[in-house]
This record gives sequence, structure tokens and C-alpha cells, in this order.
Amino acid sequence: MVEYKPQYYPGGSNVAANRRKYIDPNYKLRKLRTISDDDLVRLMGHRVPGEAYKSVHPPLEELGEPTCPIREIVEPTPGAKAGDRIRYIQFTDSVYFAPLTPYMRAWMGHMRYRGVDIGVLSGRVPLEARERDLEKVAKELVETEIFDPARVGIRGATVHGHALRLDENGLMFDALRRFQYDKNKGEVVYVKDQVGVPLDRPIYVGKPTPEEELRKITSQFRVDGEAFRNDKELIEFVQRIHMLRTEAGFDPNKVKDL
Amino acid sequence: MPKYPDKVNLYDDRGKLFETNVPVEALSPLKNTAIQKIIAYVKQCVAVNLEGVEKALATGEVGGKWCIIRGRSLKLDLVKNAGSVADSLKKCLQVDPDDDTEVKVLKGGKHLLVKVPAKRLNAGVEYTTGATAVAAALCCTIIENFNVNIWDADLVHAAVWGRYPQTMEMLGGNVSSLLAVPQQNEGMGYALRNIPCAHIALIAKKNAMNAAALSSILEQTAMFEMGDAIGSFERFHLLGLAYQGLNADNIVYDLVKENAKTGTLGDVVISTVKRALSDGVIKPLKKTPSGYTLYTTSDLNKWNAYAAAGLLAGTMITCGAARSMQHAPSVFIYFNDLLERETGLPGVDFGRVTGTGVEMSFFSHSIYGGGNPAVFHGNHIVTRHSKGFTIPCVAAAVALDAGTTIYTPERISGVVGEVLSEVPELRESLRYVNEAAVSIKGGV
Repeated sequence: MVEYKPQYYPGGSNVAANRRKYIDPNYKLRKLRTISDDDLVRLMGHRVPGEAYKSVHPPLEELGEPTCPIREIVEPTPGAKAGDRIRYIQFTDSVYFAPLTPYMRAWMGHMRYRGVDIGVLSGRVPLEARERDLEKVAKELVETEIFDPARVGIRGATVHGHALRLDENGLMFDALRRFQYDKNKGEVVYVKDQVGVPLDRPIYVGKPTPEEELRKITSQFRVDGEAFRNDKELIEFVQRIHMLRTEAGFDPNKVKDL
Repeated sequence: MPKYPDKVNLYDDRGKLFETNVPVEALSPLKNTAIQKIIAYVKQCVAVNLEGVEKALATGEVGGKWCIIRGRSLKLDLVKNAGSVADSLKKCLQVDPDDDTEVKVLKGGKHLLVKVPAKRLNAGVEYTTGATAVAAALCCTIIENFNVNIWDADLVHAAVWGRYPQTMEMLGGNVSSLLAVPQQNEGMGYALRNIPCAHIALIAKKNAMNAAALSSILEQTAMFEMGDAIGSFERFHLLGLAYQGLNADNIVYDLVKENAKTGTLGDVVISTVKRALSDGVIKPLKKTPSGYTLYTTSDLNKWNAYAAAGLLAGTMITCGAARSMQHAPSVFIYFNDLLERETGLPGVDFGRVTGTGVEMSFFSHSIYGGGNPAVFHGNHIVTRHSKGFTIPCVAAAVALDAGTTIYTPERISGVVGEVLSEVPELRESLRYVNEAAVSIKGGV
């Protein structure tokens, strides 16, 4: 067998390299801030900190699973084992050089996390999982370099803003004003949870990343940044997939060694 | 002489070798006697909810929920007399005294599993004979056995047939078949695809391997009926059925086992690529300036089959780890996205599974109504587009769910799934199809 090393993503640009880096589960995302477990729970708003996890079904041990060779070998996640509800965290990524694009959240999430359900829409990306599993994943998503306090929003509802101009402080528009810029501290602060319910005390999520730095770490192609059309290798890759899909649809036997 | 050179090793649902070097055509719906039997049973087997008939007669609630005819009721002990009802029903349905008619009493008389004789179906052109013959025979049986008079006979008809013929199907009736009425099929040859995954998962008693196998058999057999699995595309579908649905060469089981404890969906993608490389299905084509290796294949049909097996394994890992069915559509999109980006080769069904996943995500996550994955089938408006490669994964996902949905598979399926799980060929289809393949392998 030829030597094989996972390669994750094609392309010759810096943006493509960033994509490869974030998708690669062996790359440890840089931790930039610490959000306490309780604050994370409050930001998501599914339960009160310290409250027991609610369940959607009894723990698997009590439930007694049907005889199935797959259930016998596939280890359930801790949340599934306990019968946790399935809950979500949802992000909005500004088109202005946010670290991730919506699709990147899915590619990266499915490479790195087990038992997650990620949906991609233009202006929001929900990640759903059993509640205690979700909290672990959410921690990494909020504490590391892929979360920029100004251009990424934790938004469960009324997500609008990803394609709107940034405000005078460089923050993405948020109709519910969940986050604000604290000029004194120079930090972004959440005053409402992800669906817009006021928090009993504010949660600071850190300083916005400088524009120059964002341009370096982004996985977004932009004509005023790194343009997609300049990554010839990636364009050829996309065209290749399109060509192979189309020709295979005509006659798969004729697509050989291409 | 077989038409295609492919030979596969057959394995059971636990990854145990069953037989080596079996021509893939021995698994073809055109040749495999067990698949043909399964299709025959799908047409012949009908579920009767005798308890439902008794309740409908007692309350006058006939023809659907809240449709109650006040002042009309008949107290008949149908469940208590299920044995005699079954005997009379059998006699009524039989064409010859020793034909293949069967009526089995289940759950203490609450349900009946009826097998309509093949001769009745052979004498017509529509598969609806199964349901119509049983419904009509059941009416005659009840009227005769319980001396129902002319003034009450109409209530018996409504309790059994439901609101039909005011509705197209037997709305609120108590006789049901796996197959929907032909008017509900989206196009020609869709009948076998019009079976919700809830039924499939329950028939297989939530064994994910058997659920996927039965679903794949029904979907890929439908491909022959639809005009898809013929000519340039026959081998494409045969390999898909063998590798994805029937665990040929143990790929599905191996990929699941390899990632069972800690694997992510991405890990299954990588395992799939490794397996395709080590089996010589794909090979490096060239290196791009960035150092990325593009892969190619001289057998795209086989690559598709490997990718389809990987897709099922990825579903089993993701939905299995979360013990939740709702993750399935996300798997359909991103397994293929990641696989394409890993290799430079097209994903399962050449992009059609990805597209199906996008639609299914939308319609299974309360964004646009819809329902949970258990209601989906290959005839569904948002899941019809993949040619037999998506629905087996949905069936497996439903089988692996531990109870995360408001509408459970049991609630969606009603009595059909539970009753038809009594048919061994439907419940453990993988085993029967393997046995039949071995018995005919020399003759294909």
C-alpha cells in the first residue's frame, strides 16, 4: 500500500493552509481565554449552573438496549449514556475576516468531535449534541483562537448580522445587543445569553483580535483579502470534483484514471 | 457466466466470515432468491390491528382520529376470539386448501399477521391486492362469525377500511401493508422506496446492520424497477448493495470496529480512504504544488461502493455514539465533503447524497416543519434524490436511537413494523440473502 497521510484540505493559499490547520485534529487550537464552566452554561442558557442535567430518556443501563452488534461495539458518549437532552450552541461568523466560515465549523467539528450534529446555514451554524458532551465542545469553541469576540457571535436566535458592516468598535451587528464593547476594559462583554435573555451578571470574553492578526488566521477567502480566484490549485480542485461528479453521472465506467 | 467479474466475501452482521468468493451477481435482486422472497413478502404480508377494529366498533371512532359517529357502536369480542377470526380469515383468503396463505395470531389476539396467497397477487397487476384482499376478507369474516346485521355492516367496513374510498388510502383503517397506495408513489418504480425508516428499524428489531441491509435491499431493488440499475449503471448498484447494505468484505463492520471507542466522523473518512488504498481501489494521481496528493481510480463504481460503506459506518459511529438519529443528515453532507477533500474523488452517488443531506437537514431539524428521520423514506420529496445510498443509513440511524424523539419509531410505525418483524426473512435479511447467494453462486 502506498504511504498515506491524512491531508484534510487542498489549496496553495494561506487561507487554505489555515483551513487545513483547523480541520486537522492533531493541531491543538490556541487557547486565548478562560470562560468558567458556569459562565458557559449561563451563556448557552439551557440550564442553571449547578442544576442537574435533564434527561430525554433513562440512562442506557436502565433502559436496556436492543440486541444490536453495532450498539455492542460503539461506545456511547457520556451524555448519551446518561440519557441527556440534545442541546445546542450556535455561532454567527462575520464575513469580515472571522476565523471560520460556516462550512469550516462543520468540517472541523466532524473531524474533532464525536457524536455531534452540525448544521450549516449562511448566517448561523448550530452544533447539537447531548448536553454534557456539548458543554465540553462549546468550551473549546469559545476559549480558543477560532472565536473572535468581535466578529463571532454566540446567537441562538435573531442571528442576523454576519454580512452587515461592523460598528464603530469593530463589533458585528446584533439586533438583540447580546454583546457590547466595554471601552474601559477594551473587552467584549456578553450581557445576554445566546437567545437574548439578560444575564444576572455580565460575562467578559476578551479583547477583539486586531484586524491584521485576523487577516492572517482567517479561513475566509475575500477579494479584499486573499481572493479565492488566486488559489489556482483550489479552483482546479473544485472544478475537478464538479467534472468527475458530472461525468460519472453520465457513465461511471468511462471515468478511468482521471 | 456472470456478466461482471466481481467477487466478494460475505460476512454476517457481527463481522463473521460466511463465504468467500461469491459473484456479486449472486446478490442481485434479479437472481438472489432470498431478495425475491423478501419482495414477495413485502407484497403478501399484511398487518391487522384486531384490537383497533374492536375499539373502533365499540366507540364509533372510524376513519381517522376524532371522526366519531355518535350513537353507532358494536361490542364484538374480536381479540378474545382472535383464533376463530384467524381461521375464518384464512379460509376466506385461500385460493387452494394447501396454498401459501397464513394467518398468525400475535400479542394475545391484538394483532394478526396475514400472508395473502401468491396466487391472488399473480392474478392481478397491482400490489394493493394484499391489503384489499385482507380488508375485504376480514369484513366478511367479522360479519359472518359475529352475525352482524345489514344495518351494522357499514360500520364494520369503516372500522376495517377506514375512510376509504373517500380518501385515497385507508385513512384510520386497521389493515396495513408496508407499501403505500400507488397514488402516493412519486414516480414509476417507487413502491419499494415508499416505506418509512420507522418500519424498517422496527422490523429489524433495531439491529442496525439488519435495518441497513433490509433498507438497502428495498432501495436497490427499486433501482431495477425504476430503470436505474441497468446498462452502464447495473454494476454501480450491485456493488452499492453488496458493500453498503450487505457488509461485503466486512468493510462496514471493520470501519465501525476501528472507530468504535473514540472515533469521530472524520476518523471514519480517513479509515475509508486507507481501506480503499490498501485494497487498490484508489491510487495517487499526482502531487499539487502545495504537497496535496490527488487520488484517482480505474473503477469508479467500486470506489463509490467503498465510499457508501464508509458513509454507513460513519452514520453508525456518529448516531451510535450519540444514540441519536437526528445526526444522520449532517453525516450525509460532511462525510462526503471531507471524503472529497481528502482524496479529490467524488463522494457517494457522485454528489447526490450530499445534496440529499442538505435537504434532509432542513426538513428534519424543525426549520421547515418536516419530521424526525424515522418518517423519511426513498420516496420522500427531500430524500428521493440519492439512488439508494441514503436511506439505508437513515434506517440504521433510527435503529440506533435510544429515545431522543417526541414521535418515536414505534408511534410512527403503528403495528406494521412490530407485526412484520415476525417474518424472519424481513427481520434478518442479511442472513437469508447471504444463504441464498451461497446456494446459487455457481449458477450465476
